[in-house]
Amino acid sequence: MQERMERPDESIGLRKLVLYRDVVFTEAGDAPARPARRASVAAVVRNPWLGTGPAEDLLAEQERVAPVLAKLLADRLIAALGGVEEIEAFGKAAVVGTAGEIEHAGALIHTPYFGNLVREFLRGESIICFADTRAEAGETLIVPLWHKTHAATRSHYQTISARVPDGPRADEIVVIAAASTGPRPHPRIGDRMTDPVVTTQNLEVVPS
Amino acid sequence: MNVRRIVTVVEEIRTEGGRAVERPARIAVVAAVIENPWAGQGFVEDLNPGIEEHASDLGALLAPAVLDALEAPAEAYGKAAIVGLDGEVEHGSALIHTLKFGDHFRKAANATTLLPAVEKRGPAGVVFDIPLKHITDATIRSHHQSFEVRISDAPHPNEIVIALAAAAQGRPQQRLAPLSTEQ
Repeated sequence: MQERMERPDESIGLRKLVLYRDVVFTEAGDAPARPARRASVAAVVRNPWLGTGPAEDLLAEQERVAPVLAKLLADRLIAALGGVEEIEAFGKAAVVGTAGEIEHAGALIHTPYFGNLVREFLRGESIICFADTRAEAGETLIVPLWHKTHAATRSHYQTISARVPDGPRADEIVVIAAASTGPRPHPRIGDRMTDPVVTTQNLEVVPS
Repeated sequence: MNVRRIVTVVEEIRTEGGRAVERPARIAVVAAVIENPWAGQGFVEDLNPGIEEHASDLGALLAPAVLDALEAPAEAYGKAAIVGLDGEVEHGSALIHTLKFGDHFRKAANATTLLPAVEKRGPAGVVFDIPLKHITDATIRSHHQSFEVRISDAPHPNEIVIALAAAAQGRPQQRLAPLSTEQ
């Protein structure tokens, strides 16, 4: 792992890293009570399973590649957002190039070799919410985020867009980790604790 | 000046053309999404009062931020003004084509040349390319490059995106003969 971290360009075929950070100062004319910084970090890597079929066992390469990505992306996210203690919400995503399978994207983000490690680095407890797709280079992916220790905290349901203009090429995968230091700009849609009971029985107008 | 968002993009290229880049190539952009100072006023003949009020503040805001994001001395730079659909390109040009804006970046980067620029009008999420050239000699061919940016949800029709870009080096794997060899 140490050697792979020092030379990720060669060991995991890392072509580039793209950081996107967004700070909202005003929304709908007013400053947020708690201004949040949101960021995504995308790594463009060679698809390690190129040319293999659906019978291919993905374990060996996911065990080799995913932990390097988890460390690389988490470190960059933490630096971009001012420290791990600042991070309140997180998410992850992958875009596989057109010569790969969506299963290849999943192999790099949905297993413990990525998810558990990102959660540990970002000091979270929740399952990490995600988006994934297969696309041409330049596709914008909307990455969902939710609270890193209390996933049902509605104020922290939010998204950030991630995009690499020239990636993924057909033989590449873009792997993304994303985080936010706070809630949406003006959260005011309640929470599970404050919601009324809503069922088809007690609604006056029942959708049918 | 009403700033709605500030967006930072940093790209680091590790391999290009299938070969490792000797030193990871970094480019940073910082963009401020602001309310168009002339929004809703019809055709404004004299843009100078708005320029006086905002251009220097924008330069002072963006110049240190883009150098911070680059985390290295800048060798090439550029700027952008992307105007929302209800504004004029002239509004964006007004804010960036003045020494009051650019001098902040030149001073902070120890630069001397004019900043190359992109100005365009478009919807929120429009893709734009910022041209960059060397900070002290705009004829240095190795540093001619551009950087693609897209900000989702900006500019709104009454907004302008003002951005600065900085590169810590020329193109990755640059290997063209200098201009002087052809003169």
